Amino acid sequence: MGTGGELAAVVGVGMTKFSATRGDVSMPGLVREAAQRALQDAGMEWDDIDAVVMGKAPDFFEGVMMPEIFLSEALGCVGKPMLRVHTAGSVGGSTALVAASLVHSGVHKRVLTVAWEKQSESNAMWALSLKQPFQVSINAGAGGYFSPIIRQYMEATQAPELIGCMVAFKDRQHALLNPYAHLHQPDLTFDQVVESPMLWEPIRYSETCPSSDGAAAMVIVNEEEANKSTSPAWIHAGAMRSEANNFPGRDEVNPLASRECAADLWRQAGIVDPRKEIDVVEMYVPFSWYEPMWLESLGFCNRGDGWKLVESGATHIDGGDLPVNCSGGVLSSNPIGASGMIRFAEAALQVRGMAGDHQVDGAQKALGHAYGGGAQYFAMWVVGKDKPAA
Amino acid sequence: MESNERLSAPLVLEYPFTRTTGPVIGAFMTGLRERIVLGIKRQDGSVLVPPTEYDPETSQPLTEMVEVGQTGEVVTWTWVQEPRDQSPWDSPHALAMIKLDGADTPLLHAVLVDDPTLLNTGDRVRIKWREETEGHIKDIEGFLPIGEEND
Repeated sequence: MGTGGELAAVVGVGMTKFSATRGDVSMPGLVREAAQRALQDAGMEWDDIDAVVMGKAPDFFEGVMMPEIFLSEALGCVGKPMLRVHTAGSVGGSTALVAASLVHSGVHKRVLTVAWEKQSESNAMWALSLKQPFQVSINAGAGGYFSPIIRQYMEATQAPELIGCMVAFKDRQHALLNPYAHLHQPDLTFDQVVESPMLWEPIRYSETCPSSDGAAAMVIVNEEEANKSTSPAWIHAGAMRSEANNFPGRDEVNPLASRECAADLWRQAGIVDPRKEIDVVEMYVPFSWYEPMWLESLGFCNRGDGWKLVESGATHIDGGDLPVNCSGGVLSSNPIGASGMIRFAEAALQVRGMAGDHQVDGAQKALGHAYGGGAQYFAMWVVGKDKPAA
Repeated sequence: MESNERLSAPLVLEYPFTRTTGPVIGAFMTGLRERIVLGIKRQDGSVLVPPTEYDPETSQPLTEMVEVGQTGEVVTWTWVQEPRDQSPWDSPHALAMIKLDGADTPLLHAVLVDDPTLLNTGDRVRIKWREETEGHIKDIEGFLPIGEEND
């Protein structure tokens, strides 16, 4: 166990329904909904919580500066330490890891962590790409930024053109098993995905994530507290890495920070063969092709073989031996600031046996993964049904 | 490099933000449009104006909205002789914490008097509504001292 210090576990998970517009709740009401559900799952009251760690993507998404201040009473922070974490799209993952570190360190026993976004209150696509004066790079939006990198992957690996469509279709099928997912498209066909409008070649409309409102929350506790729970998800490992966004020479298909983050994670978790030892994966895939790309980067297969895992059906919940994004993933729900935490929380639900219709039978160890910025922030954890080996 | 050689350019950040007000702030705004002020009752019976969705001390959800008075008392204030460009008011005014009758917390707003010698802490004031209300805190144009019906 490489996280150091005290053992920590997730004993409560809460999520909102994700949708294009949660017009029924304010921002405080949205975060409260997820947090209240996490407390309920943990069998706790607000007073039981020692500290709150909140995360979201840029303030410009909602035009509310420092929302952690005005959300303090909705999240029961009064009289307690509260922190806000910010690492762009990976923030939900890093927020969970910061919360876990407060428990691993022995500083707190019971920490509530919450991540959220209310994208309906602004224009997230272009708010991410402010046209700063005298900036040397082009602001092309997320799709324009990532598509050339995807092309580079396709050419390097000779991947068939429709692998991305397979990922998108799979995740939309998975979403039908998750009542919280934003996109529920029971009548969607594979052909419709292929025929959807080409936005930034090779990315089609149906291969992109939606824009969602939503929040996710977890209660993370120390060993003594977790022993009281009937279904803790033990944290076996947690790792974060970053690298420069504007270094023109970096490997953008398989960033060094991603590889190093994964290597650190597997080492901490004592995992030698992730493909065999991990039962279910929740990874951050906002554009379909990132599934095969991250499978390679994380070491689930050799470089160049990620698309073969997709093509073989290995990542499908129905019959696959390495199900990826059983919740429907980012491709089916994307409240940006929350998306990383949803991955982490879904991993926890799987090893707790509480993932409902998208449960992978007997899941023992699960990976939660998030990335952010121009693929230069990474956050990952491994959670297990059993305590980590001493 | 001389300082006058530094590059400069305008940068205007503008996006069409929208807001879901939720049940409490939404009711408060609707109240203003109807020319009433709504507060929210806490567990101990005290009333917060402006209202909040969650208790600022206990974090409990608050739901019981109550109408408070259109008159109140100046708790403290400052005088603004020359309003700056961004000020919501153009002419000299007081910015005051005003505790409306029936409320237990004060609201920050303007008292529209011409001269600071006309205002004292503890003075009674009343709301001056705009002619057209739309569901905004500026539906209240300001407060006027009671007894000086100078609108």
